[in-house]
Amino acid sequence: MSILAYNGAAIMAMKGKNCVAIAADRRFGIQAQTVSMDFDKIFEMGPNLYIGLPGLATDVQTVQNRLKFRLNLYELRENRRIKPKTFMSMVSNLLYERRFGPYFVEPVIAGLDPKTGEPYIASMDLIGCPMETNDFVVSGTCSEQMYGMCESLWEPDLEPDDLFETISQALMNAFDRDAVSGWGAVVYIIEKDKVTKKMLKTRQD
Amino acid sequence: MARRYDSRTTIFSPEGRLYQVEYAMEAIGHAGTCLGIMASDGILLATEKRNTNKLLDEVSYSEKIYRLYDDMACSVAGITADANVLTNELRLIAQRYILQYQESIPCEQLVSTLCDVKQAYTQFGGKRPFGVSILYMGWDKHYGFQLYQSDPSGNYGGWKATCIGNNSANAISLLKQEYKDDNTINLQAALDLSIKVLAKTLDMTKLTPDKVEIATLTRENNKTVMRILKDPEVEVHIKKYEEEEAKLEAEKKKEADKKKA
Repeated sequence: MSILAYNGAAIMAMKGKNCVAIAADRRFGIQAQTVSMDFDKIFEMGPNLYIGLPGLATDVQTVQNRLKFRLNLYELRENRRIKPKTFMSMVSNLLYERRFGPYFVEPVIAGLDPKTGEPYIASMDLIGCPMETNDFVVSGTCSEQMYGMCESLWEPDLEPDDLFETISQALMNAFDRDAVSGWGAVVYIIEKDKVTKKMLKTRQD
Repeated sequence: MARRYDSRTTIFSPEGRLYQVEYAMEAIGHAGTCLGIMASDGILLATEKRNTNKLLDEVSYSEKIYRLYDDMACSVAGITADANVLTNELRLIAQRYILQYQESIPCEQLVSTLCDVKQAYTQFGGKRPFGVSILYMGWDKHYGFQLYQSDPSGNYGGWKATCIGNNSANAISLLKQEYKDDNTINLQAALDLSIKVLAKTLDMTKLTPDKVEIATLTRENNKTVMRILKDPEVEVHIKKYEEEEAKLEAEKKKEADKKKA
C-alpha cells in the first residue's frame, strides 16, 4: 500500500464569488482500521487563510507545526498578515527542503488576500510543486473521484451558500467511493468578514 | 591602571571586574529612556523616542518596542543594531519552544535563555558583549503578568517597576517613592505614573506624544492583547499630569503666600 494511502484522506477547495471553500473528510485510520472520526486535516493559518493536509497523519501534524513556526516569525518580522500566494511559496519551500526524504503530505491551500479580499486556491505535490487554479483543487486518496465530481458540479461565480452545496456534494460523493476516506466531513466557507464552519452528516462507513 | 585589563572581554581585572561589560552598560546609560511598570491588570512600557528628525521616513511598527510572540513584548535601550539581533533571537527561541512543546514559552524561561546567550559573550569567543539592556513585559499561565530586565552581563531580574537608559537612576528613585507596593495599582494609574516619571526625568521642556511611545499588555477573553497607545490617548494622560502639576503649584504658592502674611 502506498504511504500516502496509509491513513487515507480527501480534501478539496473551490473558488466562488468573493469567497473560497475548503472541505475535508474526518477519518483517521490505520490501513483498513478506522481509529477516530474527528481528526482535523484543515488548519487555520490566518483569519482568512486555511491549509488542508492530506496524507500520512504524523506528517500532517509535523508539517502544520513547522509551518506555524515559520508563519509566526514571518508575521512578527514583517508586521503584517501573509498573502495566500506568499504562503503557498513558504509551504513549497518547506516541502522541497526535504526533497530526498519528503513529508508525505500533498497540501491544499485556500484563502482570501488580506487587503483586496481576492479568492485564492492552490495545491501542491509532496515535494512542493505548486499548482494554482481558478476553479478547484483536490488532493487525497480519492483524487480521481474528486476530480470527476468537481468537473461536473463546479461552475464559476457561485455565491457562498451555493458554493457550500456544491463542495459538500462533490466531496461526499467522491469519498463515498473510497474505502479509506470519509466517516464525516467538515466544510469551511471563507468570506471577507466571516468564516463559517459546517459539519456534514455522511455515511459512516 | 584599568587600561591594561579592559581590551579583552574574557578576562577579569585585578579588582575582579569585567570592564567590557561595564563599558557596555555605560553605552546604555546614554541611550533613550525606557521604563516599565507592572499593574494588577496589565503591564506598560514607556519609551523616549529619540528619532524625531523630520526627514526620517516612518515605516516601521515601532522604534523601540518589539513583539516577541503572542504573550510577550520588549523594549530596548542601547545600540539598536545589537538590539535587532537579540530580538530576532528572542523570537526564534520562543518559536522553537512552541514547536517542541506545543505551548507558549513561560516568560522567565525566554529571558533566561537569551541571558545565557548574552553571558557567553562575556566569557569566551573574544567578541564584545551586546550593548543593549532589555525590558520585557509578558503574561504566562504560571505567574500571570511579569516584568523583567536584562543587561549586557547576562544578568536578569524580575521587577514591579524599573527603568533603563538615560537618567534611569533618577527615574528609579522616583518610582521607589511613588509606586505603591500593595498590588492595587491599576493600568490607568500606572500610565499616569509613567508620564509623571518620564516628564521629570527627560531633559526637555515639555512632554508631547511624539516624544514618547507607550505600549500596554493586558488579558482580554483569555488572550493577551498588546497595544501601542495612539497619540490622542497619550495626550489625555499628559494633560492629566499637567493639570495635577498646575494644581500642586497653585497650592504651593498659596502656602508660601500664607507664610509671608
